[in-house]
Amino acid sequence: MIWLTWRQFRAQAITAAAALAVFAIVLATTASDLSGRYNSSGLLTCHGDACSGLASTFLSNLASGGGGFLIAGSAYAILYFVSVLVILIAPAITGVFWGAPLIARELEAGTFRLTWNQSITRTRWLTVKLALIGAAAMAVTEAFSLLQAWWAAPIGKAVGLGGSSSIFSEGRFGWFVFPTHGITPLGYAAFGFALGVTAGLVIRRAIPAMAVTLAIFAAVQFITPLWIRPQLFPTSHTVTTITAAGASVSLRANPRLMLTASAVPGQPGAWIISSEGVNAAGQPVSTIPASCEPLVSDSLGSHRGFPSGPGSAALNNCVASHGIRVAESYQPASHYWPLQWSETGMFLALALALACYCFWRLNRRRS
Amino acid sequence: MTAVIATEGLGMRYSKRWALAGCTLSIPAGHVVGLVGPNGAGKTTLLNLATGELVPTTGTIEVLGGRPAAGPAQLARVGYLAQDAPLYAGLPVADHLRLGAHLNPGWDADLARRRVERLGLDPKQKAGTLSGGQRAQLALTLAVAKRPELLILDEPVASLDPLARREFLQDLMESVAEQDVSVVLSSHLISDLERACDYVIVLVDSRVRVAGPADDLLAAHHLLSGPRRDPASLPAGLQVIAASHTDVQSTLLVRASGPVLDPAWTVSEVSLEDLVLAYMRQAARPAARDDHRHLEVRK
Repeated sequence: MIWLTWRQFRAQAITAAAALAVFAIVLATTASDLSGRYNSSGLLTCHGDACSGLASTFLSNLASGGGGFLIAGSAYAILYFVSVLVILIAPAITGVFWGAPLIARELEAGTFRLTWNQSITRTRWLTVKLALIGAAAMAVTEAFSLLQAWWAAPIGKAVGLGGSSSIFSEGRFGWFVFPTHGITPLGYAAFGFALGVTAGLVIRRAIPAMAVTLAIFAAVQFITPLWIRPQLFPTSHTVTTITAAGASVSLRANPRLMLTASAVPGQPGAWIISSEGVNAAGQPVSTIPASCEPLVSDSLGSHRGFPSGPGSAALNNCVASHGIRVAESYQPASHYWPLQWSETGMFLALALALACYCFWRLNRRRS
Repeated sequence: MTAVIATEGLGMRYSKRWALAGCTLSIPAGHVVGLVGPNGAGKTTLLNLATGELVPTTGTIEVLGGRPAAGPAQLARVGYLAQDAPLYAGLPVADHLRLGAHLNPGWDADLARRRVERLGLDPKQKAGTLSGGQRAQLALTLAVAKRPELLILDEPVASLDPLARREFLQDLMESVAEQDVSVVLSSHLISDLERACDYVIVLVDSRVRVAGPADDLLAAHHLLSGPRRDPASLPAGLQVIAASHTDVQSTLLVRASGPVLDPAWTVSEVSLEDLVLAYMRQAARPAARDDHRHLEVRK
């Protein structure tokens, strides 16, 4: 059975290996230049607040082309973006092209009647297929992730030191960074593959199964950071001043007052999930104090007749002077690995549940 | 004699339609059994139940005394050639044999190699480029080389041209002669069965109309022609299967428990095809329907 699995999977395996090789070569040839830039940026020897400025300079040089002996600086932005994207879509690709046709093609071509009538049970057939190809999908995705993490280590360190510039602004909890680093790629790969296999078994036709797999997987990738990841681990809460939260007042149609925090005092690297204005009693405030209205500048943009956009420093101060503070809910940096484990565990459990359903359906239902 | 396939009240429903209902039969071992019936009689459903691809809605089915596809040992005892001989189009002939060798503990590599050589198949040729006859032959090789006790073939020759059909059946007969294997072969092409089978089961509307060794059936059935008379006035021991009348003459296909001695009748032998068709027509007659079925059967 292992032989047959390998024989049928050979072409895809070679394709994946080739993609991995190209990825590795591109990153390996640019890695030394990238770390060289980091070493010469002064970030190795900086102290305290000086670091964040240096880090931002380093990152903006990378993003907008600070010259270089090997490649133009802006190429790093493209490489970074593409490499993250590759890890993000690798589980979808393996789910669509390895998972969905796995059973559907056999059903379409009628070849399940050939294989399932050899001296081997369907359970064993599926076990070997799921284990080997699922492991390959997870290994490939994780290999992409580890390569990228190694390559992008200087960027990660600079962001960690408080640097920020265009696309190099996401910390470890970022939408694109969190699911593509650490161990989460393993969970996504297992889930994507199991999802594809299940869709193929239920729909029984490869192409529609591939489309459904892609749609569901993309939806899950979108929903997870919005609604699921913040709930995976209990969030911490704090109330702090507008200045300490690095927040600025912005105005919208509804709610009128927005306070978007960018930091949690004493919690560097925390993931801020939500922030809002509260009064001294701790109740949410969504309107601008009347005395601050004159400071709402005409230069703001407009949304449905209301001025909208970020407010001025004077407006910030005015709002703060009315005792309005910022309530933040966040995941501290120390929750990074617990969240990684939780999210990975959740997707591995989902993958396992889908696999169990496949086994059950393969044995219970007609073909 | 033990049954290779025994069913009791077997039924299979696809959502709302019953493809097979109340089917009770017992197929004895040691024969090449022709399972014949019109399209839609439930032959393929029955065979798919026998291979364990389907799980019956009602009733029971036993194959070689065990539950179909119950485990590797049971699977090893049954060789199955599905309709249209499915093969992996992208895999060459040699890899199909390797597949068989890897997945079957009882694989007879010698037999498989000899067969492929005799058939003149190029081991490197992809299965997708083989002719229909070659595909069927390769699929049969896979089914035979696992050394099953029972070989089930679902319409193995339906899609083959007459020459390939004859070669396939001849080859099947040779394989059967070499091995101690029972064969159940479904077909709606009765002429093929006549050549290959020594036991016939006529299945119409999931009911067994007649079953028995072909020779016994032929010996027990006669075609009588004589002056017109009412079939009801025949002596006991003669069962009319089919009757046709002109103004002056009656032609009857009868099943007789002994020799027909009445000198009024001209007695002639029946062919297996006539016999099978008569039983199918008899089954269809009460509802006076489905004339197209007969056409299908004859084509």
